[in-house]
Amino acid sequence: MYTGPLTYFDIISTEWNYVIAVLIGIAFGYIMEASGFSSSRKLVGVFYGYDFAVIRVFFTASIVSIIGLLYMSYFGWIDYSVLYVHPTFLYSALFGGIVMGLGFIIGGFCPGTSICAVAIGKIDGWVFTIGLFVGIFIFSYIFPYVGEIFYGGDMGHIQISEYFGISNELFALIFTVLAVIVFYITTLIRRRVKHVRY
Amino acid sequence: MSKRYILLAILLLGSAFGLLMFPETKSDAKVSPTDLLMEINDPARFLETDHIAQRLIEGDPGLFLIDVRSLYEYEEYSIPGSVNIPQEELLLDQWKDYIDQEDMDIVFYSNGDVYADQAWMLTTQSGSKNLYVMKGGLNEWFRTIMKPEKPGEMDPTEVYDLYSFRKGASIFFGGSAQEVPALNDDNAPKKKKVVVKKKKKKAAEGGC
Repeated sequence: MYTGPLTYFDIISTEWNYVIAVLIGIAFGYIMEASGFSSSRKLVGVFYGYDFAVIRVFFTASIVSIIGLLYMSYFGWIDYSVLYVHPTFLYSALFGGIVMGLGFIIGGFCPGTSICAVAIGKIDGWVFTIGLFVGIFIFSYIFPYVGEIFYGGDMGHIQISEYFGISNELFALIFTVLAVIVFYITTLIRRRVKHVRY
Repeated sequence: MSKRYILLAILLLGSAFGLLMFPETKSDAKVSPTDLLMEINDPARFLETDHIAQRLIEGDPGLFLIDVRSLYEYEEYSIPGSVNIPQEELLLDQWKDYIDQEDMDIVFYSNGDVYADQAWMLTTQSGSKNLYVMKGGLNEWFRTIMKPEKPGEMDPTEVYDLYSFRKGASIFFGGSAQEVPALNDDNAPKKKKVVVKKKKKKAAEGGC
């Protein structure tokens, strides 16, 4: 009986890890494109209230993974304690969230979906992606001046459940209930907003 | 809203509620097996009896000796200033404040160093720091500190210095200050010579 993460315990070698990553990437791109995520009209629908597919997909993905991970950990299929938790830098998370949200509604893509749009040859996707790299370039140059903000509010490798002192299981339940409520509310909003053809 | 969505929502909520049914898997081990193995392989946890004696004589307040033997054995003999916490009681809550602290060096000892080392392992696994084991235990303590052996004639000065320290420590800890003779040939009881008389050969009697 193997225990995951399979790459962490060297059951999958580093080389195969890359191969699998590429395959998952292709599948990810295909599903995004197939569900219409390369259309910026669909993506910004969240902000105008006529399409909530993005919110639903992201919420569903996170609940499925959190519930799945906890069950797998319970069955001993995965060692929950060795999973990498990205450190939280509060200020850059807040600032980055605002910038990302603005970019999302102005540009009509998020970084992942812009690549999807590039793949199917959308000109606005190309422009968005070029802008993305220009942004990265500028950020790299001004980093010495903003580094302090970037690393500000360092909270370490913390999870929300840890921060509030509750168990991961309870957090998963609360998050699921929240998600279902969000699903319901978005349905209500969508019914009231005038239907948009896109 | 289609039935399919309602079904999916119920499925998600059901499995999320199922998470709460999990029994609490609370492990006492706060140190990962890899880290523990690294610590086990590190011999720095063993402190020499001389080192401990020195610190006791100097009255070092940062030293905390724990006797992990039974109360009966502790009452028979214990190093002065040590506290008795039997090995099987180590992880009880009542001793937690003694063991789980950062200020003092805790030294475990038992008759040998096997039980003390087990105590070290238990407490290290539960996440405590500054833990040590007295190398050789009380047997070594008696051999080196309480009844130090006089070095031989040809031994270097360092050995003699160590011996005089041990002799002093022996008096300090109330051991016998008498000298235990070193095992050399002069003091060893002489063996009696056993004379074996050879039987004289008798002339062959008779003839054939």
